This record gives sequence, C-alpha cells and structure tokens, in this order.
Amino acid sequence: MDMKRDYHEDIKLFPNNVGMAWFLLLVAFFVSFPIFAQDYIVYILNLIMIHVIVALGMNILVGYTGQISLGHAGFFAIGAYTSVLLMTKLHVPFLLALPASGLVAAFFGLLLGLPALRLKGPYLVIATMGFGMAIIHIIGHWESFFGGHMGIITPPISFGPFILDTDKELYFLILAVTLGMTIAAINIIKSRIGRAFIAVRDSDIAAETIGVNLTYYKTLAFAVSAFYTGIGGSLMGFVLGFINPQNFNLFLSIAFLAMVVVGGLGSVLGSILGAILITILQQQLNNIPEIPLLGKGVIFLSERWFSMSGIANVSSIIFGFIMIMIVIFEPLGLWGRWLKIKYYWKRWPF
Amino acid sequence: MVSNYLKSVLVVFPFIISLTFFFGHSIASEIGVSEDTIKIGQWSPQTGPAALWGSVARGTDCYFKMLNAEGGVQGRKLKQYIRDDAYQPPRTVGAVKELVGRVGVFGFVGGVGTATGMAVKRYLHTRKIPWVGPASGSSRWANPPTRYLFALYPNYVDEAHILTSYAYMTLGKKKIAFFYQNDDYGKEGLMGAIETLKRYGTKLVGEVSVEPLDTDISSQILKLKMSKPDVVILWLLPKHAAMTMGAAAKMSFKPLWMTTSTLSDAPLMYRITKGLWDGVMFDSFAELPDSKTPQMIKYKKAHDEHAPRERWGMFFYAGFLFAEPMIEAMKRAGRDLTRESFVDAMETIKNWNGGIGHSITFGPNQRQGQRSTFLGKCEKGVAVRLSDWLEVKK
Amino acid sequence: MLIQLSQVIASGLAMGSCYALIALAMVIIYKTSEVLNFAQGEMAMVSTFIAYTLLATYDIPFIIAFPLTLLFSLILGMIIEFLFLRPAKDPTLLGLIVITLGVEMILYGVAGWKWGAETKSFPSPILDTKVYNIKGVVVSQLNIWVFVVCIGLMLLLFLFFRFSKLGVAMKATAQNHMAARLMGIRAKRILSFTWGLSALIGAVAGVLIAPITLLDPNMMVDPLLKAFASAVLGGMTSMPGAAVGGGILGVVENLFGWYVSTEFKSVVAFVIIVVVLCVRPSGLLARHYVKKV
Repeated sequence: MDMKRDYHEDIKLFPNNVGMAWFLLLVAFFVSFPIFAQDYIVYILNLIMIHVIVALGMNILVGYTGQISLGHAGFFAIGAYTSVLLMTKLHVPFLLALPASGLVAAFFGLLLGLPALRLKGPYLVIATMGFGMAIIHIIGHWESFFGGHMGIITPPISFGPFILDTDKELYFLILAVTLGMTIAAINIIKSRIGRAFIAVRDSDIAAETIGVNLTYYKTLAFAVSAFYTGIGGSLMGFVLGFINPQNFNLFLSIAFLAMVVVGGLGSVLGSILGAILITILQQQLNNIPEIPLLGKGVIFLSERWFSMSGIANVSSIIFGFIMIMIVIFEPLGLWGRWLKIKYYWKRWPF
Repeated sequence: MVSNYLKSVLVVFPFIISLTFFFGHSIASEIGVSEDTIKIGQWSPQTGPAALWGSVARGTDCYFKMLNAEGGVQGRKLKQYIRDDAYQPPRTVGAVKELVGRVGVFGFVGGVGTATGMAVKRYLHTRKIPWVGPASGSSRWANPPTRYLFALYPNYVDEAHILTSYAYMTLGKKKIAFFYQNDDYGKEGLMGAIETLKRYGTKLVGEVSVEPLDTDISSQILKLKMSKPDVVILWLLPKHAAMTMGAAAKMSFKPLWMTTSTLSDAPLMYRITKGLWDGVMFDSFAELPDSKTPQMIKYKKAHDEHAPRERWGMFFYAGFLFAEPMIEAMKRAGRDLTRESFVDAMETIKNWNGGIGHSITFGPNQRQGQRSTFLGKCEKGVAVRLSDWLEVKK
Repeated sequence: MLIQLSQVIASGLAMGSCYALIALAMVIIYKTSEVLNFAQGEMAMVSTFIAYTLLATYDIPFIIAFPLTLLFSLILGMIIEFLFLRPAKDPTLLGLIVITLGVEMILYGVAGWKWGAETKSFPSPILDTKVYNIKGVVVSQLNIWVFVVCIGLMLLLFLFFRFSKLGVAMKATAQNHMAARLMGIRAKRILSFTWGLSALIGAVAGVLIAPITLLDPNMMVDPLLKAFASAVLGGMTSMPGAAVGGGILGVVENLFGWYVSTEFKSVVAFVIIVVVLCVRPSGLLARHYVKKV
C-alpha cells in the first residue's frame, strides 16, 4: 500500500482520490466553521493556525535539516514589526506587507545561518538564543523606530473592498495562508531541496561528498524557516491588535521548539498536531481551580501543604509533565502515535 | 478495501461529532447580570515573572466575598472570574475573549500590566464592555478618554510629578537622580520627572536604567554614585529596589531614596532588604497597611476571615481599591443595572472618598479617577505617613 | 579613574563567579551525559528554598541546615535522573532538551505553588553588606566567598575526576557507556550520581547567590542563561572553561555597562559569545573534535 511505482506517484500530494475527497471535506468544514462558532473559539483557532505556520517553518529547520534554534521568537518579532511598520509608516498595502515581512525575516535568517554553519549542538543553541534575544532587545530599545516598550497598535487589514477587523474575518485570511503554506511545505520536502535537507540532517559530511552544497542548503533552511516564522508573526500582530517587545521572549522560542519536538520531528502532520496541543495547553490552563475533578483535589492540597496564592502554578507542572511524558513514551511525538494508530487500524484484526 | 474505507469513516465521524461541542450556546442575550448574580472578570499574573502582583486579583476576590456576606449589591451577589495570563498579552486576549464569549461577564476590574491591558483595550471598547481600575499607572487608559474605561491608579507621570516636586520644593533637594526600569512603566516616570524639573528650570543630574531581568546592577549603582545626587528616585520592581539598597550600602552610597507607590509596601521591602530600607520615602495612592480608618479596619477583618494565609500587603488591598468605585456605581445605578446605566452612574462620582483611595472624580470626559497620592516613609519596617494627600492640578 | 576601572572589573568578577558556579554544574552534566540541562537553575532554586524553609521556618542553625540542603539536592538530582531521563529510550539531543525543559517547568511550578511568588529574604550568614575596602576597591564578604568557593570547587572536582575511583568511573562512562559497563562499572548508578553531584553544586551556588538575587521562584532564570553562556564560551566539556567563561562574561558585561550603556549590557554578552564561537566553535578551552568520516 505504500509502494510507489514511479517518481510522479512519490511526489503526488494525495495518494489517491479518496484522500483528496476527505481533505476537501475537511477544508469545507473549516471554511464553514465560523458561522456557528463563538468568537473565542475562532480566536483560539486563529492562534493555532498561526502556530502551525511557525511550527512548519521550525520543522523544516529542526526536523528536516537537523539544526536547533531557540531564537525563532526573534523572527516572529521581525515579521510582526515589519508588516506593521510598512503599513503605518510607508502605507504599503497589506497584500505586499505580508510577503515583505516574510522576506525580511528570511534575510535575517540568512544572517543567522551563516555563523551557524560551524556550530553544533549546545553551541548552536546558545548562538540562536543570543540572536533571538539581541533582536528583541534592539527592537525594545530603538524607540524612535519601533515605538519601544510602549508598543504599536496594529492597523486593521484592508484590501480591495474588504476590511478585516474581527476574529471571524481574520480567520478566513489566516486559513487561506495556512493552507497555502502547508502545501508549500509539503512540496518543498518532496522536492530536491527537501531531500538535500534530509541528507544534511542524516550525515552532513556524506551529503557534502555527494555534492550537496552545505553552505547553501544550511543557510537556505534557516532562511525558509525564518520566512515561515515571519509570516506567522505578521499575522499574529493583526490577531492581537497590539505588538510590544515583551510578547516575543525566550519562553516563546521554547514553546515553538516544544511544538515541533512534541508533535513529531520530520513530519508536517506532526508539526500541526504539536502546534494544536501546545496552543491549547497554553490557553486552557489559565484557570486551575475550575478544572473538573482535578480542580477540587488541587484546592484541597493547596490548603493543606501548599500555598493558595500559588495555585495557578499547577499549570506549569501539568504543562511540563505532558511534554516530558510525550517525549519519553513516544519519541516520535504525536505524529508517531498517530502512525501507530493508523497502522493498527490498517492491520486490524491482526 | 471496503472494510478499510469503513474503518476510516468510523474514525473520522466521532472526531467530527466531538467538534460539535464547539458550536452552540451563543451568549448574545446575556450581559452578565442575572436575578441574583453579577459576573465580573479579571486577568492576573498568577504565575510567571510578575506573579508578585497576582495578589491584586485575590484582593478583589476577598472584597467581593466581604460584600456578598453583607448581602451583595442591590440584592445581587458578585462573582469574580480570575484568569491567569502570566503577564503575556496573547494569553490576556484569550482570557478576555473567553470571559466575554463563553462566560458572559458584565465587565472587567483591575488587570495588571500595561502591555496586557493595551492588547484588549480596543476589543473591550468596540464591544462596549465596562472596565474599571486597570492596575497600572499608564497614562494611556484615560488619555484620550474612552466611554467604557475608567482609570483609578494615578498615572506614572503624575506620580513622578508629585515625588519630584516634593523633593525639590518641600525638601529643598536640588540634585535629583533617577533610576528606572527600562520599559513603559519606568519611562513614563522618567518623563514626568524631567517635565517637572524643566518647569523649575533645572534637570536630573543622572538617569540610569535597568532591564527587568537583570540580576547584576553594580555598574548602574556606580554610575548613580558618580552623579553625586542628594536624592535618588527609584522607579523599579521590588527585587531591583532591594538589590539597589544592598549594592549602594556596599559602596557607602547613601542618598535620600524616594520611590513610587509600586514599592510602597514598606514592611515587605524592609524585610527583604534586611533593614536597609529604613528611611526610604515613598508615595502611595491608598491608605497604609496600619491605617486605622474604618474602611481599612473593615477590610482587614475581611482579609482575616476570607484569606488568612495571604499577606496583608499593599498589592492585596489595592484589589479592593480598584473595585470600590465600580461597586459604588452599581449601587447608584440601582436594581435596573445595564452597561449604559452603569457608565452613567460612574460619571456621577465626584470627589468620592468612600473607599481607601482619595477624591475619586469622573465626568463626561474625565476618566482618570484619582490624581492624588501622599508621601510616606519607612521607619524601622513600619510605613509612616508624612504628608497629606497631594493632588496634581493641571 | 583606575580605581573605577578596578571596581568595575572586581564587581564583574564577583558576578562572574556566580555564573561560573552554575556553569560548573552544567558542564559536569554535559561532560558525562551529553545533556544540556535547562533545569539546572530550577534545581538550584528549589534547593535554596528548602534551605530557606529549614533556616527561617524551623530555625535550624546554618551549620546543620546547609549539609541537609546539600543532601536534599543530591537526592533531588538523582530522582530527576531516575524518573525523567532514564526512561527515555535512545533520546536525541533535542528530546533531552525538551525533557529538561519539562523538568524545569515542573520544578518552577512546584516552587511557585509551595512558597508563593513573593520575594523573600534569605538568612545567610555570609553577608553581601559586610565590605572590605582594598585600596579603594570595594568587595563584599559574599563576593570573596563566591570567588573562593568557585575556584575551590573547581580544584576539588579536578582532583576528584583525576584521582578518585568514582571520578575515573564517571569519565569512563562519559566516553563510552557500553565499554564502561563491560569493565564492571555500574553505569546507571554513575549517571544518577552525576546528576546528584551537579544538583549539589547548583545548591551551593543557589545558597551563595540568594542574598544578591533575592529569593523568589524567578531568581535563577537570568543567572541560568548567563551561566549557560559562560559554559559555552569556555567550552562545554571543560571545567576550567566554565570558570574562565564566567569571569570573562561578568567582566565584559560590566565594562560595557559602565563605559557604553547599561541598556545593551546583556545583549553584548551574547553577541560576543557568538563572535567567539565563530572563531573557536567549541568554546575557548575545550578541544574541538573534528568529525572524521
């Protein structure tokens, strides 16, 4: 069932027509969703989709090329600020500002990729972390240009006769962008470039011997992942309505990394699942005492042995615990678990 | 192949059905006021680097419990919904949208943080949702004034004005330096100080900043010392203020220290600086913890009853202060409480001293309720009042 | 002028030795299990809180409370290794990083839950306020102690790894896990002990630094980053590297803060590290192993 007969079958997007039909049904479902749902759910979906875009980008770098980065919050910020500044100061229309922010972020990705060529493991982690922090710092302190710590209010998006201001209107835009970028990511992986990335990850020296230009492909990986992250950041600015250097800190970079690792490295579906899980955990764990069942137990413990004032910290405990459990018990991440379920179903009843 | 098809259908359908939980009860008609309950929401940094200020929301909670024990407001009990946003604006937005869409709150009270509040300001305004007492002294809440947002915390610029004038005119100290946190909180204070001194025809002898996450401030203290000031105004987080005392003591640097209301919790500061805080002056926008006014005694009793394990400190009872005008307006609006009648009632509050703040005034275009603070001093761990309420008049 | 410069350098060294202590703990773990331990700071923080509880709530004298804290941290490190790192089957570097991040979150949550977010004052017998004036340069008792402890620990560890049986066993396990087991070394126990030892050093660092950074759950967030940077600067596999890296980082930060601007202090530190890494990709003092095919 998984054997391909020729090259075209290998790079086809859907293995057969049934798959494509189900996929179109899913898309139709998502397009019609906001008609019924509340604003809050649509907002969460917007966040999830933005994180999916970023996770896709990170996956290209981390999962497929084997480089680690803890500095992607910097690209996220660059994307957000670029599009807002272009729209407010230079009156660039949104349809140009969005790709522009991706390109500017990609440029900085290139800058980061160059020193990263020589670094491995913890050294790369520190270098990327330092880069991320430096970007945020510069944005925070270059007041005249970036609005400093006061932050900037993002303008509503308008193109043609449309003005996108509410969550539901933004949803359609973000959905379209996410779909487009997911398909683009899948295609990149299946192409020559993707195979070069995988070769670099598996053994960079061997890759170089067969003619994969390490310099070119490593920096390209950084640039592409920065592009994705920049687009995500730009959209985030519009969803939040207000950007401020404080939003883009080290915790955000860590969350991005967690999304790809927990979701499953080296798989597009994995990044999507990881983004969904981490976003939902982050947003939903903000009200500990009201969680059914568990909440009462936590309150009881808090009154006896722990402090009542610190009760919200249980969210950190739960979050960390889930992350650890997934990595320990399913090293391939959520995608790995999904694969196992899929194969179980296919082989049932054996 | 048919059975394979059937299997995948069986897997997908429950998934689709489970998603229907997202659909459903839209909260269009409900506005948070029912026969016997009023729902109020607050976002609060219960975890994360700003968790110190999580006690504000818990203070409001205690206040509501106290009021409910007395029968509530106009026969309705108050229910507060606290959401932890860990001081991160994306989570604040999520929390607010959840409270508005799913829970259906009447309005919001408090809410620590400028960046967090700014992220939801426009959303709340377009939906005409009242918001009283943001727990931050940014001048952006009331300036320009908007219909549904009522600020209480005297803004940082005004506070800096009061502190600087007191130092310059009343105490006669001419050489003033400013040590501030490098974000909008510190910078607004800096702006206020510079403006004030400009009016007196002079300027600060030193301006030094520190980053929120810095743990080493020795070079900053050295710079301050080099500018040889009589007074140093601190506009920092409690942690850095405490570190400042230690570092300055090491270098035998002993100017007169003055701080903002954020650092006015004298017993706490005295304790964590191991006594070095003695003699520091501060300004405060609420009564001091040992104050014997009837309101404070009543609140302290409520604290002992409903939240005994929480420390009785400034941030905690600030949670009372931010909600007081809201309750007053609800009383004035009467039993027929709508968002519009609430806002109209808020605007009738003039020079109100029914709470632990001072002279709260709102009006048709006036959204900065309190513009006065008073000076106090830390004497051996006890906050002692130095001056009467000083009001900024512009 | 010279006095100011010396003062800046001295303060820089003082802070740098704090970073160096934590960096030492990180290097030990990296040397033996090739794991980047992001939970290092929180492990130290929790141990410091335990020390605080013993000292402040139960009024146990420091002489007894300190060894108890060390014992606690030893056990804490071993438990963390046992519970969270051992079950991971064939983990990649990234997987391990995420696990340590998860441990970090759990420890942070537990500390915040148990002790609350309010800043506390740590009753340490070594004071930061007792100062000595050496020809115009001011250093505190605490600064001297941190510096001495840092150098002392480094020497101790060096001797330990060189000459003691356990130390040699740890080095062997680091080089080749399987071969060590074949030689009769109980590799799994060694691994546990490594984590315990690292947690212990972290606890020492935490207790020493607490008077400066004050005690709250966030106390180790920034020092951890700086310690990490120091370790990388000096070379993740070199213990003297950790100390040297810490010293350089502290001094450079302070010099920049004094002469140029306090705003960009931390950023410059990272930028410098990136620049150094471009020239010496494995840090200053570590041997750069070039992978041969």
